[in-house]
Amino acid sequence: MSKTKQTVTIALLISLGLVLHLVENFFPLSAIVPGAKLGLANIVSMLAIVLLNFPAAFQIIIFRVILASLIAGTFMTINFYLSLSGALLSFFLMYLTYRLGRNKFSLIGISIIGAAAHNTAQIITAAFIISNSGIFYYLPFLLLLSLPTGLGVGLVSYFTLKHLPSSFRG
Amino acid sequence: MKLNEIVTFYDKLLIIFLILVSVFLLVLPFHFFHSGRNSDLILKVQLGDQIVKTMSINENYDKDIVFSVTGPIGTHFIEVSQGRVRVKEAPEDDPLKICEKTGWISQVGPIIICVPNNLSIWLEKSDSKLDGMSW
Repeated sequence: MSKTKQTVTIALLISLGLVLHLVENFFPLSAIVPGAKLGLANIVSMLAIVLLNFPAAFQIIIFRVILASLIAGTFMTINFYLSLSGALLSFFLMYLTYRLGRNKFSLIGISIIGAAAHNTAQIITAAFIISNSGIFYYLPFLLLLSLPTGLGVGLVSYFTLKHLPSSFRG
Repeated sequence: MKLNEIVTFYDKLLIIFLILVSVFLLVLPFHFFHSGRNSDLILKVQLGDQIVKTMSINENYDKDIVFSVTGPIGTHFIEVSQGRVRVKEAPEDDPLKICEKTGWISQVGPIIICVPNNLSIWLEKSDSKLDGMSW
């Protein structure tokens, strides 16, 4: 992939992730389990992990989180750190799984790993911030909910990658 | 396209593992909470490291109580009514207002949290060693 093409791909994926990050606030999953969300922005992380190398994919995650928090007005607040902790842990785990266990896990498995890691990281961060471990009460519900959302996100990325022009790869 | 052609053996293993972990985490608290009668519950409100409010909620069946707790980003209005408690109004600056969406809690276990405001609200059984009867 040429330098210019990679830059354009990164820019496209960041803007896509930004929109998905903001759109997912329209779905009030928090009413079912506090802190739950669809994880639509994870679609972009999956695409980035498959299409790009580590620095480029990492760039996309960081810029998505920072820009989304700037738009929502939560930059450098507690919400920003919650968002960042979830995004970083899920990204690293998904990247490692994709690089090391690509023939074992499908994209669905990888996205479920990402969803579960995101929830776990956020709960642990939140427990530190409010210094109350009672919040772990919600962890099993969030983990169960991460199965359908992870499945959905995995399927979307699977079909997106399938229909993406081959010029995007490599 | 069948789902079975995409999902691998290890995917299924992962899903089963996550379900087992969730069920284990769901069952675990019952040993600690040993749910009995819910008649004498104590409401605790923690702000930062400190418990700022402790009150019994079963005495107040007749009238609703609304009190406010002010944290770093604003004031929460907390309502106690008929043995239940909820956040009636979250501060303006709370972007997600998760505490408000949590709704009522009426038993030991669930917890209302507002992470931006460092606030947590939960119910406890009043069977601590030092209640009125022990004196």
